[in-house]
Amino acid sequence: MIASLRTGLEATFKGVEVTDREDGMMFVLAPGESIPAVLRYLREHGLDHLALVSCVDWIEEGELEVVYLLTCYMRNNTDYGPEQRRHVLLRTKLPRESAELDSVIGIFENAEPHEREIHELYGVHFEGHPRLIPLFLERGYEIPPFRKDFDTRQYVEKTFGAIPPVED
Amino acid sequence: MDRNQITKWLKSPAKMAHKYSLHAVYFCTGCGIIEIPPVITTRWDAERFGVLPVATPRQGNLFMITGYVSLKTLKAIIRTYEQMPDPKYTVGFGSCPINGGMYWDSYNTIKHLDRYIPVDGWIAGCMPRPEAVFVGVTHLWTLIDKGKADGYLRYKRYYAAYRRNQEMLFGELQWPPLYPTEAEAEEARP
Repeated sequence: MIASLRTGLEATFKGVEVTDREDGMMFVLAPGESIPAVLRYLREHGLDHLALVSCVDWIEEGELEVVYLLTCYMRNNTDYGPEQRRHVLLRTKLPRESAELDSVIGIFENAEPHEREIHELYGVHFEGHPRLIPLFLERGYEIPPFRKDFDTRQYVEKTFGAIPPVED
Repeated sequence: MDRNQITKWLKSPAKMAHKYSLHAVYFCTGCGIIEIPPVITTRWDAERFGVLPVATPRQGNLFMITGYVSLKTLKAIIRTYEQMPDPKYTVGFGSCPINGGMYWDSYNTIKHLDRYIPVDGWIAGCMPRPEAVFVGVTHLWTLIDKGKADGYLRYKRYYAAYRRNQEMLFGELQWPPLYPTEAEAEEARP
């Protein structure tokens, strides 16, 4: 199954790098614009659970890496085995200054809060997301706070240090 | 009833009643909530000290903030505190509400809770053990006896300053002031 997925991915999409690991994990590196198509392809080929969407800030390379982790639901007892276990880690790299991706809510509905979170904490814009408003944060931040160039100490001194004690 | 305390009961019955009917609102932020179930259930049984959990802040008079306070939580804490009837006592539980604790350089966690609402006592630790809660409660009894647990009065007196601090953090608040601020009070004075 894994082997056919690999050849299928490489034949269908251009610029996709696939790395296999022996424990059933597969790393796929795809360009940003082909992410929805790759996700749809993976979904049609049995990886029907989007476990998480995450993001990594590679500040030296000037890139943000968005990570999609896909697994599959086990339906029969015979599905449980080392050769059946499948995890696919789909990665894409975006420039830090103009990080934009197409939203994948149409394919995996549960991506919505993940994309909102990545938008507010890393500043990645998801095209086609219905409500890209802050999920956890209450204040506006000049730099999204999970980016590596966000100086937390300076921010804390400026914001919380400015608030005076009420009574002596 | 403890016979030694009869004079106290006769002298100031209200204070004694406040002391032994602490109805606690456990504001379950952060990891402190892990300590609360053993405190209020059979193992340590907070009811021995007259501390009972209540369902809504409108029925409680002891406010325990058990853990770090993020900005969004602080908003809820202020609203909860303002809903509680007087007299009310606030206790910060754990090191995070005291000075930020391990979140001292976090971008979204407030550092000093007593700059936004008045706090009567602190229980230090990360996390404090349930015994510390009872030590805290007995200290609070002493403070109530001496009339020093007056956070709700201080909130009224310094409301303008508290409100200013809250607005420095959040900008415009979505609810009206609880007490008239100084300028309004000045205008209302004949």
